[in-house]
Amino acid sequence: MRAGRDPVNLPMIRNWLEAMGDTNPVYERDQVAPPAMIQVWTMRGLAPPIAGDPLGDISEKLERDGYAGVVATDSAQTYHRLLKIGEEITVRSRLESVTDPKRTALGEGRFVTTVSTWLVGGEPVGEMTFRILRYRPEAPVETEKTAKLRPVVTADNTFFWDGVAEGQLRIQRCQECGSRRHPPGPVCPACGSFRLGYDVSAGAGTIHSWVVHHHPPVPGRRGPFTVALVDVDGVRMVGEYRGPRPGIGDPVRVFFDDGLPLWRPDVPQLEPWTLEVTPTLVVSTALATRDHQNVHHDRDAAVRLGSRDIFLNILTTTGLVQRFVTDRLGHTTTVTGIRIRLGAPCHAYDTLTFTGQVLPDGVEVIGRTATGTHVSGIVAVQR
Amino acid sequence: MIARTTAIAGIGATEFSKDSGRSELRLAVEAIRAALDDAGLRPSDVDGLCTFTMDSNSEIAVAREIGAGDLTFLSRIGYGGGAACAIVQQAVLAVGAGIADVVVCYRALNERSGRRFGQAFASPDADAGWHLPMGLATPAAQVAMVARRYLHDFGASPDDFGRVAVAARRWAATNPRAWFHGRPITLDEHRASRWIAEPLRLLDCCQESDGAVAVVVTSVERARDLARAPAVIAAAAQGSGTGQYVMTSYYRSPVAALPEMGVVARQVWAQSGRRAADVRAAVLYDHFTPYVLMQLEELGFCDRGEARHVIADGRLPVNPHGGQLGEAYIHGMNGIAEAVRQVRGTAANQVPGDGPVLVTAGTGVPTSALLLEPVDAQP
Repeated sequence: MRAGRDPVNLPMIRNWLEAMGDTNPVYERDQVAPPAMIQVWTMRGLAPPIAGDPLGDISEKLERDGYAGVVATDSAQTYHRLLKIGEEITVRSRLESVTDPKRTALGEGRFVTTVSTWLVGGEPVGEMTFRILRYRPEAPVETEKTAKLRPVVTADNTFFWDGVAEGQLRIQRCQECGSRRHPPGPVCPACGSFRLGYDVSAGAGTIHSWVVHHHPPVPGRRGPFTVALVDVDGVRMVGEYRGPRPGIGDPVRVFFDDGLPLWRPDVPQLEPWTLEVTPTLVVSTALATRDHQNVHHDRDAAVRLGSRDIFLNILTTTGLVQRFVTDRLGHTTTVTGIRIRLGAPCHAYDTLTFTGQVLPDGVEVIGRTATGTHVSGIVAVQR
Repeated sequence: MIARTTAIAGIGATEFSKDSGRSELRLAVEAIRAALDDAGLRPSDVDGLCTFTMDSNSEIAVAREIGAGDLTFLSRIGYGGGAACAIVQQAVLAVGAGIADVVVCYRALNERSGRRFGQAFASPDADAGWHLPMGLATPAAQVAMVARRYLHDFGASPDDFGRVAVAARRWAATNPRAWFHGRPITLDEHRASRWIAEPLRLLDCCQESDGAVAVVVTSVERARDLARAPAVIAAAAQGSGTGQYVMTSYYRSPVAALPEMGVVARQVWAQSGRRAADVRAAVLYDHFTPYVLMQLEELGFCDRGEARHVIADGRLPVNPHGGQLGEAYIHGMNGIAEAVRQVRGTAANQVPGDGPVLVTAGTGVPTSALLLEPVDAQP
């Protein structure tokens, strides 16, 4: 059990909002803290480690064992209520598990999971399950570049791939008898006519069947991923599906990425948000979240530890996810939980683009940089 | 006229392994020599050779290595494992037409130590271009798409797939030739095996093997005078369905069906004058468990969606050698050898009786089947 340095207070809230670029006026008006700030209140900042802290102990032990690298991988926060200015926060943390050594992309590593509960008096106000990877840094293995498998463009299907390039889903249609078909061909199998054209589909379909590919690796892809067989406009087509676990009959909608048609749940989409990640953003948000790890403010240190540049800390990523959702759904939306998985680090000078869709059980948010998916997860909201 | 004009007079195989340590050509030669020895024939008797388009061993190289002389019939069939029984049909047609007298059908592959079929490869094929780039790039994933729909359409469960694997491994456990000899599995082990492509788990997928199998086809008349009791070919059929693709026939309805096996089945029963109820044992191509169920339905052993009950109650012996799940994956050719042994009465897990034995080839592709029976059997 550990007390926060300061009670919930307006100056820290304002610093945090300013660093995040979050202009939501509701927090100051209602004298409450942004939910995604919860961890900030009990961050240790520059204070020296305390003896007997189970998390500190395991971290030290793993570091002694050669697991020098550390990277956060998952964070699942639940907020029971908004924290009011003046409230004193304490945190109770326990070590949940340390996995056996596993092969990871970064090197041999062990996942450490901790569970924290924040309290006001005796009242639990929030919880977090947090997972980090402690790893032995090693030079990346030289692997053969696996190029993504590309479409096979022929004289009979050029119209389809031209359509994809223009953001259109084109379905072959016989100009003689009107039959549609997919995959397309040089002649209408229904009437024998060579007079073929196409319709531009509205791109709304339903899932006929689906698979989750796990093994073996597919060139240019990281598993697991989902591929669906979709009924659309009287034909069927195969495409990757991105979204939560689907079901047969689920409505889906086409979208286009990397020269391919893909499918997603047919639910409202949030307008994407593109953020230029400046060094100032990385440093100011790290300080506003009381995270003084040098990789978030000291470029030399970050480079020495194998990074390209300083990079966003997880508390900031959590805050940006919250900002994206409340900016898009409206500032009176209350965030009651943020469950995210971290992927590629987001470095200074990266462009971070958030996309989101409103699902029955929350808002799915994905943040991508040129390198790959930085963050993906679900934000629970009350509207 | 195909029925009962020809017979399989000899079978031969290498050991089944994960790393043969030998060339595919040498494996082919070893299997063919064993098959000729089994039949009591010499390499100089061979005048026809048939194999898969996927086989890396040319007929002429095989002929040179085994010491055959002049050949009058050389033929290959495409579509992967779907060719297994179709190359025997080629031999039947050649012998029946008087083009050749002794035709050897062979398949040799280092599928585990060499090119593994279960991996994802780029393909220049236009049909493949609608699936591979979308991530549906392995046979398991392509079958999983059909398997999911099968579960949905018929209210079956992944355990029903698991029971196919458990049955195969139970047979393999008592077949000394099988890679999984002495290693049965439980349904719980199936449930605990890792995902390959949901809803398929590792134990829904056949093994990967190195090895070769060859069979010798000649006329029934000649076979009567040879070393072994002939396995008479009562039917030999090939088939492709409407809207056929290779492993991805998703654009016809229903998806959870194998109409090409229906095409084959109708011919098998018509040629032979037999029906499903006569079959003593069925050797069904089992690269993936769901297709065993769907084949039973297409072949007429039960109604659509009911095959899980055929497997669960064990009313029909299916793959008594352990199948490709349990014995080895020799692209369906080891199944033909097993059917011959069942007809001869020399199988490791011999199914009693003198009824015909059915054997099928690869599913999800244009496919084929044979119905074999003892000489002078009365339909």
